[in-house]
Amino acid sequence: MNKHSAGNQPVRPFRLGVVVVLVLTAALLLLWRSVDLDVLRKDFLQHQGDARYLRVMPIAAHRGMILDRNGEPLAISTPVDSVWVQPKDFIRAHEQWPRIARLLKMKVSDLEREVLPRRKREFVYIKRHIVPHLAAEVMALEIPGVSLRREYQRYYPTGEVAAHVLGFTNVDDVGQEGMELAWNSWLQGVPGSQRVLKDRLGRVVKHIELIRKAHPGKDLVLSLDRRLQYLAYRELKRMVIKQNARSASAVILDSRTGEVLAMVNQPSYNPNDRDQLRGANYRNRAVTDVFEPGSTAKPFTVAAALESGKYTPQTLIDTTPGVFRIGRYLIHDARDYGLISVSTVIQKSSNVGASKIALSLDPDRLWRAYARVGFGETTGSGFPGEVSGVFTRSHPWPAVERASLAYGYGVSVTALQLARAYMVLANDGRELPVRFLPPSADDAVLRGKQVMPVNIARAVRRMMERVVEKGGTGTRAAIPGYRVAGKTGTMKKAVGGGYSDDRYVSVFAGMAPASNPRLVMVVVVNEPRNGVYYGGLVAAPVFARVMSGALRLLNIPPDDVSSQPVTLAALSIARAGGPP
Amino acid sequence: MSLQAIRQDGVSASADQGSLLLSLDPWLVVPAVSLLMLGLVMVGSASISMAEQKTGQPFYFLIRQSIYVCMGLGLAWGVWYLPMRLWQAAGPYLIMASVLLLLLLFVPGLGREVNGSLRWLALGPINLQVSEVVKLFVVVYLAGYLLRHNEAVRNQAGGFLRPLALMVILSMLLLLEPDFGAVCVMMAIAMGMMWLGGARLLQFFLLGLGMLGMLGMLAVAAPYRMARLTTFLNPWADPFDSGFQLTQALIAFGRGEWLGVGLGSSVQKLFYLPEAHTDFLFAVIAEELGLVAAVLVIILFLVIVLRALYIGQRAEKQEELFMAYMAYGLGIWIGLQAFINIGVNMGVLPTKGLTLPLMSYGGSSMMVMCVAMALLLRIEYETRTGSVRRDSVVRVSRRGRTGHV
Repeated sequence: MNKHSAGNQPVRPFRLGVVVVLVLTAALLLLWRSVDLDVLRKDFLQHQGDARYLRVMPIAAHRGMILDRNGEPLAISTPVDSVWVQPKDFIRAHEQWPRIARLLKMKVSDLEREVLPRRKREFVYIKRHIVPHLAAEVMALEIPGVSLRREYQRYYPTGEVAAHVLGFTNVDDVGQEGMELAWNSWLQGVPGSQRVLKDRLGRVVKHIELIRKAHPGKDLVLSLDRRLQYLAYRELKRMVIKQNARSASAVILDSRTGEVLAMVNQPSYNPNDRDQLRGANYRNRAVTDVFEPGSTAKPFTVAAALESGKYTPQTLIDTTPGVFRIGRYLIHDARDYGLISVSTVIQKSSNVGASKIALSLDPDRLWRAYARVGFGETTGSGFPGEVSGVFTRSHPWPAVERASLAYGYGVSVTALQLARAYMVLANDGRELPVRFLPPSADDAVLRGKQVMPVNIARAVRRMMERVVEKGGTGTRAAIPGYRVAGKTGTMKKAVGGGYSDDRYVSVFAGMAPASNPRLVMVVVVNEPRNGVYYGGLVAAPVFARVMSGALRLLNIPPDDVSSQPVTLAALSIARAGGPP
Repeated sequence: MSLQAIRQDGVSASADQGSLLLSLDPWLVVPAVSLLMLGLVMVGSASISMAEQKTGQPFYFLIRQSIYVCMGLGLAWGVWYLPMRLWQAAGPYLIMASVLLLLLLFVPGLGREVNGSLRWLALGPINLQVSEVVKLFVVVYLAGYLLRHNEAVRNQAGGFLRPLALMVILSMLLLLEPDFGAVCVMMAIAMGMMWLGGARLLQFFLLGLGMLGMLGMLAVAAPYRMARLTTFLNPWADPFDSGFQLTQALIAFGRGEWLGVGLGSSVQKLFYLPEAHTDFLFAVIAEELGLVAAVLVIILFLVIVLRALYIGQRAEKQEELFMAYMAYGLGIWIGLQAFINIGVNMGVLPTKGLTLPLMSYGGSSMMVMCVAMALLLRIEYETRTGSVRRDSVVRVSRRGRTGHV
């Protein structure tokens, strides 16, 4: 059946030839194009490809911890997640917004306000810093365009106790106040970056290269002792509540190194709760707020007097009748002390006595007595926002100003400055800069600078011990078992054009053990408003409670065996040794 | 005994023993099987991420394609035993079946619409892509027509225009789906076969002009086709919208370089390149296996096409014109579809939804292409065994059946 009629002649070979030529041409076209794309244009094409799926991704670097001197954490960076969206995809899924809003405790209108004006952007945060398990729930909603970003949030385990020293960071983990600010570049990690290959759904498929390694922030060890910090905070706060004070500060320094062991203020705030961030709360009053040191300055007047050679602790000064007139100004004592020794001037805190001593001295010597212990200059602590107080004089220096400087008026200091000045007395006349970081073993600064003769410093300390003894103004600062040297201060607050009659600052500055001081402490209570305002009644009890606890916590041996209460051990020894 | 006689004896003897493979033409089998296997591996590689994303099963498409390949080979095996004269007789019925199948698409419940095109016929568990079958049937029909009306085709306008009218009807139905790519391939096959069938040059050129005019009008009437027709010239002008697919394909080539980025390492398949396992499989091959594999694939297709033309010419010399036209038609079809697909992948042709024969993912295309290869092999076998064909083939096919059932 396949034999066909004569009409079925084979076609001319030329027709098949045309087809073969077409086929070969097509094949050659494809082959040439393959070479063209695969080899000749590969650079352009690969570049285009890379532009589409190579992305630089940050590698989060957490901020360093802040630790106290014993390695207890004071500030920690905890991982949190921030929710961000790609507006284009997210807006398309508008009907799912109520679900994510409910989970994040937001309103849909909040979301709209955040996202809709930024619809052209590629990245919009909708909620910062949520805990990881909530973040997992958000992702489980599988709403298009929603992603997470790992971030770190600062957490302060001590809360308000160390808030002022530590300061805080902002939402981007940058230090804003306190040590967080001062040591920001030390603490702050340097985020790294890496090049990754992403698929079209935005998932990382491959890590191409590490562009920059992430350097986590370094830990910062502070000189603070968390235990002393708690103790000081608790006692200061108790007193502030009891005396209805406006504010208060307390500072404890290690007198051998200049380290700040504790620094607390009232009012305080919880740095973990950003709603409490108000300037009045987070100001570190111990370094930013100045007051006139009042009677707490008298030991420096007396030191100048002893150094001049004109006075010994026993030199008598006539303070009768308890009032001293210089020009139009009257200087008052609490009562007429009569003829008293220099030592008693300190013990009883006689303004008249101190003024008379000051006026008898060479003005430059008087000036140096204050300048050398750090009045008018910052403490060198490097704390952000620290002020230097006011310490100036005019030439010539009027007598009334010299007289008032003798009992601490006309000059202003911070609590930290006053503590530093007392550290010179505690250190047998050596002056040390204040520091918030523990010193390294071979720190040359620790040797300090001798700014006051050793014997003078010891003599003044001895006089200050009488302040807390019977008959002194600061008996409430006494600590059983330890010798305490200190000075009370009760200052009228300077108000417009003079001094207020009903607003006071109560201060106690002291050190212990007085035989070989280890700790210096200053307590400043601003405006106690419950009727009691003497430094010996308001500030001294805080000193005693905190200092006694601190001495025991630091295992500092008692130096006053005579006043030591009879212990059970001592009793048993007595019984065993005594006659039956 | 002449050399030919020895070969014939050998062939019939081996066929008698049921050793099918030895009786097949290696010039067709080797390239076809190579393409088939490479295609299977690449479908698996190209679809793995997409499959996991869509179905949760990374090998979803690979498993299905493997089943299609098995079904295709089974079908091819069956088809190989059918003598060509059965096809010759079946031509007119097949073309009627084509029209019927295309009409069935428009019966609600039978036609399945995917991506805006009504291309699949739901036949129980199987979805049949009608246009693939239609292309095959058109080749069979035209080969028969050219045989029956050879005189008329060569000498009368009517002989030339009658089959063309049928083509136009089929084209209209295909355009209703719409499946523009299938129309192009079908028309080009028809023209190629007519050309080789001896249609007069003048008619041919008039027809060619008419067709070009028609294509142009279609493109203008449907602007999205016009856009498709022009973007391939400069896909980088709008790489994120109309040029998206093509730029992604071109990037795949550029990434491949000489030896490719390695099997499984394609990035473009990670959702950047749409249809990576179907229409743009070639781009993934070029990316993962490089220029070497791309050239190899092109050459393998070239071998198949040239072999088909050679077989056609051999049949023509033996005055077996049906088989000659069939071989020409099948060769043109496979070659044209491969050329268009690869050309689209490389940006030398406008984007068409055409599969790469024997390689792309898709059951209908795979099975129809297997049948086409089986037909080529059968023609080669029948023309090679020459004079003993009628007796031995009947014998072989009968024994083959009994032997294998």
